[in-house]
Amino acid sequence: MTAVKYLGLIGANLGRNKLRTALTGGAVMLAVALVCMLLTMPAGLDMLLDTLTSNTRISVHNKAGIVYAMPYAFTRKVRQVDGVAAAVAMTWFGGAFEEAGRVTFPNFAVEVDQVEGVYPDYRLDPQQLADFQRYRDGAMVGRQTMKKYGWKIGDRITLRSTVWPVNLDLRIVGEIPSDNAPMLWLNRDYLDEALKAQGRPGLGIAGMIWVRAADPNRVNAIMRTVDDLSRNSEAETASETEKSFFSNFFGSLQGFVTVVLIVTGLVALCIVFIAANTASMAVRERSGELAVLKAIGFTRRIIFGTLLAEAVVLSTIAGLLGVGLTIGFTSLLRVGAGWSDTLGPLGSFVVTAPVIVQGVFLSLFVGMLAGVVPSWGAARKPVVQTLHEVF
Amino acid sequence: MDGDGQAPLIQIRHVSRRYVRGVDEVHALENVSLDIAAGHFVAFMGPSGSGKSTLLNLVSGIDRPTSGEVVVAGVRLNDLSEDELAHWRARHIGLIFQFFNLMPVLSARDNVALPLLLTRLDKRERLRRAETALRIVGLGERLDHYPRTLSGGEQQRVAIARAIVTDPDLIVADEPTGDLDARNAEEILSLLRQLKNEFAKTVVMVTHDPRALRFVDQALHLDKGILLEGEAAQRAGEAIMLAAHGHSVSGPS
Repeated sequence: MTAVKYLGLIGANLGRNKLRTALTGGAVMLAVALVCMLLTMPAGLDMLLDTLTSNTRISVHNKAGIVYAMPYAFTRKVRQVDGVAAAVAMTWFGGAFEEAGRVTFPNFAVEVDQVEGVYPDYRLDPQQLADFQRYRDGAMVGRQTMKKYGWKIGDRITLRSTVWPVNLDLRIVGEIPSDNAPMLWLNRDYLDEALKAQGRPGLGIAGMIWVRAADPNRVNAIMRTVDDLSRNSEAETASETEKSFFSNFFGSLQGFVTVVLIVTGLVALCIVFIAANTASMAVRERSGELAVLKAIGFTRRIIFGTLLAEAVVLSTIAGLLGVGLTIGFTSLLRVGAGWSDTLGPLGSFVVTAPVIVQGVFLSLFVGMLAGVVPSWGAARKPVVQTLHEVF
Repeated sequence: MDGDGQAPLIQIRHVSRRYVRGVDEVHALENVSLDIAAGHFVAFMGPSGSGKSTLLNLVSGIDRPTSGEVVVAGVRLNDLSEDELAHWRARHIGLIFQFFNLMPVLSARDNVALPLLLTRLDKRERLRRAETALRIVGLGERLDHYPRTLSGGEQQRVAIARAIVTDPDLIVADEPTGDLDARNAEEILSLLRQLKNEFAKTVVMVTHDPRALRFVDQALHLDKGILLEGEAAQRAGEAIMLAAHGHSVSGPS
């Protein structure tokens, strides 16, 4: 507790040049806030995937890659696998909305009588689902896409496929009531007929098969069975959970996060150098006072300790403010996520206790690293040398 | 032994101090021996480079001799490490500098209380003693003033209060009037004399100021690192007295 009596001295010295203290503290605060914000990203992405995906849904696609198709008949085999509650074949239509002129939202040809079985969590409106099954040209559209284009149920739109040699006139019969599903579903049979009308063999393939397991504990077994079924065929499959499937999409983003974390580390290091430079300047301009303190009996240990404590106290206070800033910012994002669909995923970035601890330790580390060299430099010189240099 | 049969407070025996400056070896002090009795007010005088500040640093445990022995209050300073010397100075020495060297971010009271941080006293007692020391030097009304709001003479008084707050055996002053005008210089010398007379403090001071001769018990003259004795010391004293007379007639130049 004897160190407590030096707090007044440390506080007074921190208040010596308020602008410099504020600027240094501000730099540390922002660096810690930036690092904490980025530290929330891996957990945030995982949480985001959890909200986007179901633990019972499985993606079955061609082992060679998702751009390669599978025979449509394989869908029926998958449905017969023990433990499979439902399976739906989805085929990329690649339709460009005529006003946009390019593919601006994912759109798939689906089996209209199977989607409800695979996506019960979407809570599709029964009446709209019935219309989807009734009308050959019916389409169900994700809520965000409906909002984006100002569409409403009953509207008619035309999609020009960038994959198939057809344009399809579609009637919007329902909305997919999920903010995480911006896609459009159209009737697989409708596309099949349109292709046949052009003298083509029809839609004999499935781009992907989405499966819902009756029991989450059976998911792994189902994936193994499905892949075994296609083994040694022309289209061997690779099954994966929905979370795994989407995390592959986020894979490049995670690489980006890694790069950002490295850059953030470098930024933190720069802040250490800035803080160290500030500490050096502070020590240099107080060399006369330090000489007197040594002369009147302050030992090297006390001089070193009080100077280091200044850097650590400043950095820690700034770090705590930085952590608070991150908590405030992410809270704001969550509030914003409730207001705006585009900000929705950002609501997943939550400052957890480990992130707070890491932020506080980072600020401690910055303070110690920044303060140790100038403090030791000032403390280690013999008192007579210090006095000679100053007076 | 002094006249009272007691060992002198300061005993310096055959002390030399040499240091290297660039490629040259500087002989700052050469074979100096002297005793200073407790309760005396002594001035080290001499021209620049005479070694008086070096001698003061040795007496106050700030520096160590190259050879010889320095004993203060019964402690042989040669044997102490840097940290042990720091502890020793905190307990036994009160230091006063030419340029006051107060901490600008602390009030007069907190500046004076600084050396007491090194003691086990609680905050209330530290501040109480600091106030007492400030009252002794005549600044009882300026406790909460910051150095920038005090005159040079007042700042030096705060520095003196800081030097006496630990009730040291020895007060060491390095050119305490060097940065003051004539009136303030006289007041500071008078205050040091008062500390000697009323509190039986031993005061050792380095000064160029001939006015100091009127206040000290003894002036020791140094030149080129050697303590002058006999006729040489007498001539140096007369030269200073002459300068002091000039001061009193025409004022400081």
